[in-house]
Amino acid sequence: MNVKTPKNKRRKGTNGKLIQLLRNVLIIVIVVVLLALAGTHLLSLITGNAALEAPSNVVTTAITPVQSGFSAVVDWVVEYLYKIKLRSRLELEYNNLKQENEQLVYQAMLVDELQQKLSVYENLFDEVSDNEKMNPLVATVIGRESGNYFSVFTINKGSNDGISEYMAVTMDAALIGFTYNVSPTKCSVRSIIDSEASIGGLIQSTRDQGTVRGTLGIDGQPMCRMYYLPEDLLPRPGDTVVTSGVVMPFPKGIPIGTVRESTRGMESNKQYIVVEPKADFEHVEYVIVLRYQPTAEAVQSSGDSDDLTPTALETVRPIPTVQIGNDFYQLAPTPEPSGDLPLESEQPTQSDGTAPEPTPTAGNSLQYQVPSGSQTDASVGFTLPPTASPTPTIEPLELTVEDD
Amino acid sequence: MFSKLLKVSVLTLLTYLLQATVSEYISVWGVAPNIALALIAVMTVCLGRKYTFIISLAIGYLLEVMLPSLDYINLIIYPVCAMLGALVFADKSERALEEAKSGGREIIQLHPHIRTPLCAGVSILVFEIVNLLYIYLSGVSLDSGHFLRSFICILYTMVLAGIFQFPIRLWLGTYKLKKAR
Repeated sequence: MNVKTPKNKRRKGTNGKLIQLLRNVLIIVIVVVLLALAGTHLLSLITGNAALEAPSNVVTTAITPVQSGFSAVVDWVVEYLYKIKLRSRLELEYNNLKQENEQLVYQAMLVDELQQKLSVYENLFDEVSDNEKMNPLVATVIGRESGNYFSVFTINKGSNDGISEYMAVTMDAALIGFTYNVSPTKCSVRSIIDSEASIGGLIQSTRDQGTVRGTLGIDGQPMCRMYYLPEDLLPRPGDTVVTSGVVMPFPKGIPIGTVRESTRGMESNKQYIVVEPKADFEHVEYVIVLRYQPTAEAVQSSGDSDDLTPTALETVRPIPTVQIGNDFYQLAPTPEPSGDLPLESEQPTQSDGTAPEPTPTAGNSLQYQVPSGSQTDASVGFTLPPTASPTPTIEPLELTVEDD
Repeated sequence: MFSKLLKVSVLTLLTYLLQATVSEYISVWGVAPNIALALIAVMTVCLGRKYTFIISLAIGYLLEVMLPSLDYINLIIYPVCAMLGALVFADKSERALEEAKSGGREIIQLHPHIRTPLCAGVSILVFEIVNLLYIYLSGVSLDSGHFLRSFICILYTMVLAGIFQFPIRLWLGTYKLKKAR
């Protein structure tokens, strides 16, 4: 029995075979073309024949623009990706640098602060080292009265540290004020610009003394005025005013300030000169308290020089006998021998045991005859051998005594 | 029919362009992959030996003409490497399967997604061996650096083949085909 195949299926089968045939032919053509191209290329390489390079040149010419376009696209994509990568890296790097910058800024601020402190400490150390004999003590300002009329601040040292009242307080080698209201752990400092402060001052160039007072309560200016100067004094602007060591037990010579105005002599109603303080009262953080004791200082300073030992002379001053007119009128001028002098030499004798004879000269002058030898000694130490006390005999003067 | 040929032609051209322009940008530790052999391996498993020969010959020819690093090398080595890979890992034809079945022999067919990177591995292995042999014969003493670079290149190319196979198989319509008996 014959099965009848549908007409469309027969047509489809015929078409399928045709397509398969065409496909095979096409593939064969492609393979042949490719092999031909490869063969000509190989032959051109082997033989070096330029004519055989023609197919390769055609292919190259066709492929080059395509490859150029594709390469441009690839480059653009790569560049874009690189930019994205770079941007993310830059952002990361920026964040890191920003964070690092913040840390560095903070460290720089810290370094500046520490440097400032170091500078202050160096100045304090230098000042303390220079004034070691004055028993200095570094103190920190812990409180300040910022009034318009008074300038007082509190420091963190008190009587437990050896501070007593009216001790000089300095900063940067300049007087700031003096201590008062001392408690065991703190004390107050009244600055020299306070109008309640009164300090003995001295103009360094002329050695004229006066009293320095603050002007804060007078005119609100952080200045000082110096009173009680000699009337004929006209200090020059710029002259340095230092402590005189009187009024308060301050060491002598601490700089207070400089003369700012010198118009006192020109204006009759102006009985003071204006002194500009040397210390910077706006930036007082650390101060030095000079725990100075005048008596202890004097004893200590006198004991410093070993080679210069002043020793009192063993001689007593001569007691001349002056006869004026007649015998009953006698004078005994003289200086009383000091109690420190040895009494055993009141009746000096020469080396041979006799008293030296004075040699009277003409006129009213007295001349003492000093025994020859080494009685006068100019050597260091002021130690002279005992000398005889001459008893001069003066010729009677012709004096006229008038009655009232 | 023509659409498949067109797709293969475009894919061939794209393979060449990628090998010529992109591979240098995606190098890892200074080692560039061989994109051409990776894509040829994908098409080998998808399309069979016949297309593998055509594509590899075309790519070899284009590389030989456009990037003549060494005479004859590209023109010969690409078809050879691709055909060696195809010989092992390409789909078996229906006739071969029937013959094996009738002969009582068992043919082990790995999954195509596994065969693709393996095919690329075989191709690139042959390619690297030929290159190492060439530079060795040129007087360069081989050291561990050469072998390490070759190993990295083989691994990289296999990974690329494993990645590229999915979009290419999808584009060629391989997933729509019925399984062979």
